[in-house]
Amino acid sequence: MKSLRLAAAVAAKDLRIELRGRHAAGLALPFAGTLLLAFGLALGPGRTLLEAAGPGLLWLALLFGSTLLARRAYEAEAEDGALEGLVLAPVDKASVFAGKAAAMAVELLVLEGSVLVMVAVLFGLPLGRGIAVIVAALALGTVGLAAVGSLFGVLAVVPRAREAALPLLVMPLATPVLVAGVKATELAVAGRGGEVGSWLGLLVAFDLVFLAAGTLVFEYLVEE
Amino acid sequence: MAEPAPTPRTETDTAPAISLTGVTRVFGSQPAIVGVRLVVGRGEVVLLRGANGAGKSTLLRVLATALSPTYGGGAVLGFDLVSERDEIRRRTELLTHRTRLYEELTAAENLRFTCALHGIGPGLVPAALERVGLAGTADQRVGGFSQGMRQRLAIARTTLRQAELLLLDEPYAGLDGHARKVVDEAVLAARDTGRTVVLATHEATRADLATRTMLIEAGRLHPNPGPPARSAVPR
Repeated sequence: MKSLRLAAAVAAKDLRIELRGRHAAGLALPFAGTLLLAFGLALGPGRTLLEAAGPGLLWLALLFGSTLLARRAYEAEAEDGALEGLVLAPVDKASVFAGKAAAMAVELLVLEGSVLVMVAVLFGLPLGRGIAVIVAALALGTVGLAAVGSLFGVLAVVPRAREAALPLLVMPLATPVLVAGVKATELAVAGRGGEVGSWLGLLVAFDLVFLAAGTLVFEYLVEE
Repeated sequence: MAEPAPTPRTETDTAPAISLTGVTRVFGSQPAIVGVRLVVGRGEVVLLRGANGAGKSTLLRVLATALSPTYGGGAVLGFDLVSERDEIRRRTELLTHRTRLYEELTAAENLRFTCALHGIGPGLVPAALERVGLAGTADQRVGGFSQGMRQRLAIARTTLRQAELLLLDEPYAGLDGHARKVVDEAVLAARDTGRTVVLATHEATRADLATRTMLIEAGRLHPNPGPPARSAVPR
């Protein structure tokens, strides 16, 4: 109960900071929009090609956006040494990880809603056909990306790590989310939602692995 | 909601506040503090003097368990520096020139978050703000605060809980007369309630607050450069 209260306090703090500063939204949303627009222009006007590329671009935009959100979540901690305050608090660091992951998941959901609309408009992706499956895949992908981002986002601000450490770690680690998300979305828009079970299962497994890893390892990443 | 009671440890209650044996901390290949041996009794107010880069901040951060010793070891309030970090953290407060505040949060919200971290009731926040003269700006975001106001807010945070060991790293840096007085009052309040304070500063003018003065030069501590500045007996 105490751990839950602490996680809620950390999440509320992060969301309040984001609501007031809109640092992450001001960075991740324009980035995702620009990425989708650039790919749309690069692929040309062919509707079939755009529709085929839509699921992949949707998840790529989310993956890149999630690394920006993760970085921003810890930049706020680093600005005036607040991270040291979290480290020196005699609390279970797993609760701090859970709180940061929860806040990042909420921010990712907002990003996903916007990116989904952009993909539907720019690439003519027929979302209506399998929207329930797409929402399920996005929800599961959100948990995984939030867990990985909150675990390794701290590397963007700790002095001993290099700035490039975050994307270099997160991108390869999040590949299962990318692959499973793209496959589930492709099947959903093709009207084959009944075949996505194994891909959603992969997303669930990824979520469990990285939630567990974050709970166990976060303390060692933030110390010193 | 009161702060959870620290683990009762009779043997630690009578242990020195600080006991270090040969503590060295190295960054890369550069030693920041070297072979520090130090014993500080309960209720002492120690003035740690030294030039910029002498190792004051590193020593205080080792004592606060923000850094582990590279070599050597010791105990703070009777708890081992490495294996009992959380027990030390429950009982110590570190104040540095980095105020650890969130710019997008208000003064009151910053303190309430500290309360949540330490399991303290948020009802203490208004009094803490009043104590440092920030009651009128409780609902203003810290991003608009001057350095002096931030430092006062950080001091207010230290008063939320009665830490047994107060570690103050250059607390006067960039402060005006009023804010300096707030720091002095926090030190005196700690001293008068029998708590231990280590006050690191490159200024020589605060010796009147201390029961003992120490000098650190190039990472080496000279624990007894002169006689005690005043009696250790609280006023």
